[in-house]
Amino acid sequence: MSHSYYLPQANEVELFEAAAGMNLPVLIKGPTGCGKTRFIETMGERLGREVYTVVCHDDLSAADLVGRHLIDENGTYWQDGPLTKAVRNGGICYLDEIIEARKDTTVVLHSLADYRRVLPIDRTGELIEAHPDFMLVVSYNPGYQNVLKGMKPSTKQRFISLSFTYPKPDIEKEVIIKESGVDEPTAQKLVNIAGEIRQLSDSDIQEAVSTRLLIYAAKLMVKGFDPYEACMHSIVESLSDEEDVLEVLQKLISLHFTKAE
Amino acid sequence: MDSKVSRLFSWSKVFLEDMDEKVGIFADSYLRKKASRLHEESGVSFESKEKSLKIFYHLLGGDKAKELHITDKRFIETSRTLLEKFSGKGKSFFLTWQDEKALYFPATLAYFNDKELNDMHYYWLCGMLSKVNLQGNDIITENIKATAFLTNKYAGFKNFYNKAKYLLVQNYPELSYIDSLNTEALLDDKSYPNPLWIYPSIATNAKLLNFNDEEEMGRQDGKEDKTEELKMKKKSNQIDDEKETDGLLLFLPESLMSFMEQVNVDRQENDSFDEDALYNARDLDEITLGKKDANLSSRVKMDLDISSRDVEDYPLGNGFLRDEWDYKKDMYLKKYVRIYPQVAINVEPIALPKRLNKMMKRIQSELDLMELDRLKIDNLPYGDEINFDAWIEYRGHQNKSNHPQRFFQSFEKKTRDMSTLLLADISLSTEAGVTQDIRVIDMIKDSLMVFSESLNRLEDSFGIYAFSSIKNKKVNFHIVKNFKEKYGDLVRGRIDVLKPGYYTRLGSAVRESGKILQKEQSQNRLLLILSDGKPNDTDRYDGRYGIEDTKKAIDEVRQMGITPFCITIDVEAREYLPYLFGRNSYTVIRDAKKLPKVLTEIYMNLTK
Repeated sequence: MSHSYYLPQANEVELFEAAAGMNLPVLIKGPTGCGKTRFIETMGERLGREVYTVVCHDDLSAADLVGRHLIDENGTYWQDGPLTKAVRNGGICYLDEIIEARKDTTVVLHSLADYRRVLPIDRTGELIEAHPDFMLVVSYNPGYQNVLKGMKPSTKQRFISLSFTYPKPDIEKEVIIKESGVDEPTAQKLVNIAGEIRQLSDSDIQEAVSTRLLIYAAKLMVKGFDPYEACMHSIVESLSDEEDVLEVLQKLISLHFTKAE
Repeated sequence: MDSKVSRLFSWSKVFLEDMDEKVGIFADSYLRKKASRLHEESGVSFESKEKSLKIFYHLLGGDKAKELHITDKRFIETSRTLLEKFSGKGKSFFLTWQDEKALYFPATLAYFNDKELNDMHYYWLCGMLSKVNLQGNDIITENIKATAFLTNKYAGFKNFYNKAKYLLVQNYPELSYIDSLNTEALLDDKSYPNPLWIYPSIATNAKLLNFNDEEEMGRQDGKEDKTEELKMKKKSNQIDDEKETDGLLLFLPESLMSFMEQVNVDRQENDSFDEDALYNARDLDEITLGKKDANLSSRVKMDLDISSRDVEDYPLGNGFLRDEWDYKKDMYLKKYVRIYPQVAINVEPIALPKRLNKMMKRIQSELDLMELDRLKIDNLPYGDEINFDAWIEYRGHQNKSNHPQRFFQSFEKKTRDMSTLLLADISLSTEAGVTQDIRVIDMIKDSLMVFSESLNRLEDSFGIYAFSSIKNKKVNFHIVKNFKEKYGDLVRGRIDVLKPGYYTRLGSAVRESGKILQKEQSQNRLLLILSDGKPNDTDRYDGRYGIEDTKKAIDEVRQMGITPFCITIDVEAREYLPYLFGRNSYTVIRDAKKLPKVLTEIYMNLTK
């Protein structure tokens, strides 16, 4: 049945299943492109629950989550938001990058994320009790230092937390091969490159190369692109705009995949 | 007649030998160019590569605390062509090496007739440095091992190495040993240094740091150390610098007038403390090492007896008594510390110093980007656009009379609702030097000016305070700018007269700042702490007590809903800052010179 490919890094699958069984909400931390979204999709398939994904941004209002009135030829009607849909029908409501949402928006989650499991909708005066299959999952990237953003401790402390990192080299290699169909030596080289780039600190580079970018590079190579070019466009240019950093990354790639002459 | 000829002959011999040894900066540049086997026109300079190499070194897993420097020439005895002998070139070399503190590269690389290869040469050396460990290991096998590692792992290095080796051996037949594993043949008198290799540091090679009167450092008798067999030596004529000369010594040996230059190279502190001196020294065969080094501690000690002040610090009242945390008793010591708020008077208002204009211009472009952020404000009774959501909601609302009827939205410039208090540590340790002319305190002052200039332009509310302490008796709390005061020339004047003094009782200063920030009404309150080291004082504050009190103070501030963030230039800060501030609430800046720019950038990042 399962369509998505996901290779577990540790015991995250068991933990997630246990949390789902006990109706506990889950918080996933991890850098971009390390497989958070893919993990949720896979778990949705495994548990047979639909996944309602909401990507959060600073303009996201509570109405975007809960729902709003719309107009048609008969006048206004109420339209459920993704959160309300999941609460009513059961399913996983996945709030990606929850840190980007304004703090007052995330407060609507509080009554859902503890033992009450209810969602009050003040615009219609409804109080919806969550479906037994409803599960709340949020994720964020803890790497950014920012005073204005961040989860309120009162929100954070309602979740079971899973911490993700980039997969270990052999797992990552397998993922790249499986996702792109590239040969083993090339995948190994990509993993080596990633290992080296991830040595850099925040002052040099904002965030290290993700597994996702490595897969992009591998896919371009499979399509017939020169490996050096593929890496330049998928890895190097995506990571930085600073000339010094670009130069070094370029050099690094050329050391692994020599430029076609 | 006969004697005349023989005299002439011996004269020229002396002359030749003297040329050989001391020709230094006198050598005819034409002769040198001709003799040089370097391709200076396609050379690459370290300066242009420094930042890239540093990042590259990190990429390969190198120690992040290490700095990158230019190395001076090191003397290696070799056989030279006659032309080279005449021009004095080719007998000392820019070797690449490292010690615990830094990596040392040649100032330029120009072995190849191709800029790209010379460029790659730097990266190669950087790669070698990250792999070679000469500590107690044989230099040859280590270098060969590292070479094999790099060429196996990186196809690009393999190409470079093969090409470079071919060209080098062609150009320098002395180097034909490069690939031979026969160490004996290789250490023959053809010991021309391999530009692709890493050499031992001066310290391990020839205990130069001891300043013994050694003429030839490399040959300490008996030891079968391979590094010594390379016949490296560095002439270190120790001279007496008690007699301050102007650095130019004129003297007449029997036959030839020659002069040497004296450069104070601070070898004990840091090899490239003064890069200019090294640049000048580059072409000297002999660098005379003076015993005198730019010793900061002596200066610091002098200042301990506090100097007189022209600017008066006007104490505001008799100070306040504040609590301090004693971790051993697990309780507060009530009214234990006396804090003296004070403000400098008789201050000359000054404009933004010219040296900061360029930096401000660059920061301005980043500030402009931030100002583009506009915020949508919903649910207004009137405004620029109709908010359809509000209208539709109204249409669907059961009880229309009860509806607020705010149907408009507007886009307004974001008022960031932010109050920031910048707390600067101006303890005596900030008197330390960043370079020979610039002290840490100067960088802190520049930072404060750039910071306030930026926040003023952003229209963010901010205050600036500075502190130093003498035990619990007196914590000086200097008001540079409070939240109400407008930023202007006077504030800059107060920044300018800040002087390093005394110690760092950080906990008390943090508590006091918290009290001030608490009165601000903004939703986001940020306490930025600018520091150069651990909390310390002359009493028990120096140690665990100080750390614990500071931690307690920071926790208190957090309780008030204030976000503390620490920016430090103390490289060892990683040992205690995570404990004090948590993992995500501090930044260590390695290069104090960057502080002015980075401080403002950090602020912008924190509040974006």
